[in-house]
Amino acid sequence: MQASGTKLALGIYTTLFLVFLYGPMVVLAILSFQTGPEGGPQFPIIEWSTYWYKHLFGLTPPTRIAPLPIEEALVRSLLLAVMTMIVSTVLGVTSAQAFRKKFTGSGFAFYLIVLGMMVPGVLVGLGMALVANALGVDRHWWGTTFVLHVVYTYPFAFLVMLAILNRFDQNVEEASWSLGVSPVKTFRKVTFPLIFPGVLSAMLFAFTLSYDEFSRTLFASGRDLTLPLAIYGTFSVEVHPNVFAFGVLTTLFSFALLGTYAALMMLSIRRARRVAIQEEA
Amino acid sequence: MAAVLQLSQVTKAYGALRALDGIDISLPDNAYISLLGPSGSGKTILLRVIAGFETPDSGSVLFKGERVEAVPPHRRNIGFVFQNFALFPHLSVAKNIAFGLENRELNPITDSTVVRARVKDIVALVGLTGLEDRGVTQISGGQRQRVALARTLITEPSLVLLDEPLGALDANLRTRMRAELRTIRERCGVTFLHVTGSETEALAMGDAVLVLDRGRIAQADDADTVYNQPRSASVARFLNCYNLFEGQLSNDEFVTSVGKFPLQGQKADARGQPAYAIRYDRISVRPLASPVTAEEVRLEGTFIADEYSGAAINSFFSLDDGRVIEVESHLSQAAPQTCVPHSRYALVWKRQNALVYA
Repeated sequence: MQASGTKLALGIYTTLFLVFLYGPMVVLAILSFQTGPEGGPQFPIIEWSTYWYKHLFGLTPPTRIAPLPIEEALVRSLLLAVMTMIVSTVLGVTSAQAFRKKFTGSGFAFYLIVLGMMVPGVLVGLGMALVANALGVDRHWWGTTFVLHVVYTYPFAFLVMLAILNRFDQNVEEASWSLGVSPVKTFRKVTFPLIFPGVLSAMLFAFTLSYDEFSRTLFASGRDLTLPLAIYGTFSVEVHPNVFAFGVLTTLFSFALLGTYAALMMLSIRRARRVAIQEEA
Repeated sequence: MAAVLQLSQVTKAYGALRALDGIDISLPDNAYISLLGPSGSGKTILLRVIAGFETPDSGSVLFKGERVEAVPPHRRNIGFVFQNFALFPHLSVAKNIAFGLENRELNPITDSTVVRARVKDIVALVGLTGLEDRGVTQISGGQRQRVALARTLITEPSLVLLDEPLGALDANLRTRMRAELRTIRERCGVTFLHVTGSETEALAMGDAVLVLDRGRIAQADDADTVYNQPRSASVARFLNCYNLFEGQLSNDEFVTSVGKFPLQGQKADARGQPAYAIRYDRISVRPLASPVTAEEVRLEGTFIADEYSGAAINSFFSLDDGRVIEVESHLSQAAPQTCVPHSRYALVWKRQNALVYA
């Protein structure tokens, strides 16, 4: 009796949790199939259609509703995310590698790095804008914003790599050295392949965090908007279901990224196993 | 014999702990040396210093006549076999073995046919034929041990350090691998320095045995000498076959808390704490009433229990102060006294068989 009561309570709790988690997304996805151009972002669905998806790609006859001004912003955001991902991951891997040995000031350096993800984004963004103004530096998505994105995502990459290297068996590297292989080559041939799943995770973190970063970008980017800013900009006029259609597409894109990540992970795990299966067959 | 490795006054401290406290050793070419030490004696650190993973605080390390303290591990050509084997988990057996040849800094071998031939030879030597394409997570512990050994031997080091190489194997396999390690070494003609915490392993494997005690070499002799004439009470204790009594030497007697043991011409060795040692198998058990000759020492003890191990029986007696004495009787020699629990017996040994440290 007691047990089934707990089970029921937990079941209800979990259901509510899932509803709150996915409810908004499901509502957006449904509304993106509203008919257009007269249908608005509200229920009921007048008629199911893919009008807003076509509208997004400029495949509909022109109306008073302007297409989403996101084309360039999307390219910018993707470029920025890729740049951030590369720099943060390289920084994260190398600095986590450095932290494997205790050095003078390592504790201080640790907090200094982690600070980047702790400080509120609005403050950092505003601060960057003020500093840039004071120094006479122009604000650009590829300049000031890029720096802030790295400062923000680097700690995540660093922490992921720190956890990975923490479990890493140092004897494996020492074994390689004792075979006459230089430390640099050992890193390339032994360490890196073994920590590669961690590097993938660090890359994923850096990319997704940068791709939809808003508060830091708001103040630090100049004239040219990134995707989150461009979408926010459209809200201030009037909301049409084309935003929802776009949301659905980006979500699908994110899933594709995750899928790639999962596939790469599986591959690196299976590589060792595959040989054995052939052996047994 | 030329010395392949010479250490003199090697010291390494971690804070207040002197892990290595003035180590002097000299390893001959083409020999099997075992290094016996209890846990915490600094044996792994000693190996790591020789391999170059750690730098000594002071002292010199000469490898083939050249000082190597400042030489990084990958330029030393000293092989290292880890207790956990430390194989490269992302590579197959053959790739693990070929790794050093293909990737080393000094004349790497790029010709894949040469590499394949060398791998084939060494695989045959260590008995891994047929497993070349397996992943290293797909083979047994003993096979992993062989891969670790093959991976090291293929680079032809002059010295191979083995850190408790049999520790991760089960007892059965351990005995078999002992013999195999010795044959493999003989065929390669290199020096093995085998670190172990097991006294039987150290005595069985080593042409010479080094005993490490709290960061110092307590004894360096052949196995027979170490076993029969341990140089200090600590060495006797590590050997796990001596009953030790603490006490004081006074004239011709060794005074302990359980009685006075008369001596017979033993020269007391002046090392470490004073102690009187008598080997398990030197003691005979007799009924209380049986007579004692002039050359014998006698103690009384209460029988507790015995342990049958096939060729011998180990019996345990408690003395009046609660201390436990172990007696080993070899069954091939004579049927031993059958003891009744909780009864008292006389424990007798010849005076000349005891070792005295003072």
